[in-house]
Amino acid sequence: MAHSLEQSCTALKLEYDSCFNSWFEGYLEPAVSASASPETRTKYSKEKADEYERKCGKIWASYRDCVRKAVKEKGLDGLLDQARQENPLKEPPQMPRPS
Amino acid sequence: MHYFSQSFNYDHSWAHVIIGMWHKYPNPHCSHVVTVDVIDRSVNPVTGLIRTERVLGCKQRAPTWIVKLFGGSEDAFVREISFVDPSTQTTTISSVNLSLSQFATCHEKIVYFPAPGGRTAFHQTAEIQARMMMWRTAADKLENWLAMRFEQNAQLGKVGFTDVLRQLWEEAKEKSPVGTPA
Repeated sequence: MAHSLEQSCTALKLEYDSCFNSWFEGYLEPAVSASASPETRTKYSKEKADEYERKCGKIWASYRDCVRKAVKEKGLDGLLDQARQENPLKEPPQMPRPS
Repeated sequence: MHYFSQSFNYDHSWAHVIIGMWHKYPNPHCSHVVTVDVIDRSVNPVTGLIRTERVLGCKQRAPTWIVKLFGGSEDAFVREISFVDPSTQTTTISSVNLSLSQFATCHEKIVYFPAPGGRTAFHQTAEIQARMMMWRTAADKLENWLAMRFEQNAQLGKVGFTDVLRQLWEEAKEKSPVGTPA
């Protein structure tokens, strides 16, 4: 896994990435199957979102604080805010699919 | 404006490609990407949709005339937003440059979705555009350079990610492969 933009955040980043990846690798394929009906989808999503929070919430909070501080120190926060204003991307965008 | 697009299939299932996506860097084929940070992520507890906002740091020496005209340095940063939607088996990735963004923008869009035969379709587009207030010749030159760099990196990205997926899912088969449900 690649390093953090701030060296002192890399250890937290690697720990967080491992946590997320291990959760995600167990999540994805059953999530596809669970999408067969809205009920199973909602039940599975809730369970897994809670599990992610339980397993990775704490390390995420530490890593996030570290990297957000670093983003500010590198002067990227202004550019990031501008990009977010131009394109918030809170919902999945419509993507062209080649026919 | 420059427009770029390419489409092809990866010889892996959609889930394997999307699991592999988080393992793409560091990559010897894409050594220009040196840092990757998640700055925001949410797992939707109703829809199962995962939204991830990342900042990628790239090191690529810009030609002297770019540095002279526009400032900037070896470090360039990109904002990337991805949505993984298991219910539609669609992953979209939108990226835009943060560095040099006052002069030019490079908007990249990627979509991954299942293709026949257990494969995964990849479709990528990019629009590279200099902002208008610039001196025209400089704007054109900057656009040309960014477009050339983008196309080179897009090819490297394909080669690099193909390797990662092969290592993750084929060469590692004798070990217990990640992501395989028990």
